[in-house]
Amino acid sequence: MAPALAVTLNALGLYAIALVLIVAFGAQLILHELPCPLCLLQRIQFALLAVGPVLNVRFGPRPSHYALSLLVATAGAAFAMRQILLHIMPGDPGYGSALLGYHYYSWAFIGFAVAILALAAMLLFDGQFAAGTPLPQIGAFAHAAVWLVIALTALNVVATLLECGFAACPDDPKHYELLRFGQ
Amino acid sequence: MEFTLLFLAVAVVLLAAWYGTRTLALALFAATLIACVVTYLHHASAVLNLSF
Repeated sequence: MAPALAVTLNALGLYAIALVLIVAFGAQLILHELPCPLCLLQRIQFALLAVGPVLNVRFGPRPSHYALSLLVATAGAAFAMRQILLHIMPGDPGYGSALLGYHYYSWAFIGFAVAILALAAMLLFDGQFAAGTPLPQIGAFAHAAVWLVIALTALNVVATLLECGFAACPDDPKHYELLRFGQ
Repeated sequence: MEFTLLFLAVAVVLLAAWYGTRTLALALFAATLIACVVTYLHHASAVLNLSF
């Protein structure tokens, strides 16, 4: 696989991460379902997953960049599994509403598992790491992908500050702490 | 508050990866990932009210 193709695939990965963050954010705003602490932690892992692809786009593909994403995806899968196990008992309605039959943390686990498989598949192609290969030009497609993920992460900073305020985030948040004036 | 700081840290890591040196980005990444795991372990150590 040529480095240029690897960079394009990394940019596509960034768009996939952006899509996950947009869907999570959309559910929060449209369904008025505030993310719990574990949900936020999983969302943070999805954003952190973008560091590897961003480094690949900027400095060219390296195995160590893929390793960063593998570490994050493994941590994210563990966090999601913890939340699945918290609601594993029969009769437990789970946290939040289900999307296509699965709760968000179940989808998060599937997402992290898919990321691990995709990263392993990318690592199969040694050609992208060939020494002496010139760095591919960063096009508008990759630029936009990087900035989309950065913007969505910044948006989550604001949303989480509004939700949790300046104290510890409640286990089962019902309202935005910083929007409770007069309540 | 800790989750706001973690999101902020991720945003800083992404900006460092895009504009800064590779070493800086890797160092910030490691610090952020460790902070995430510590936060998780803090929450995971809370008592669970499950009826097994």
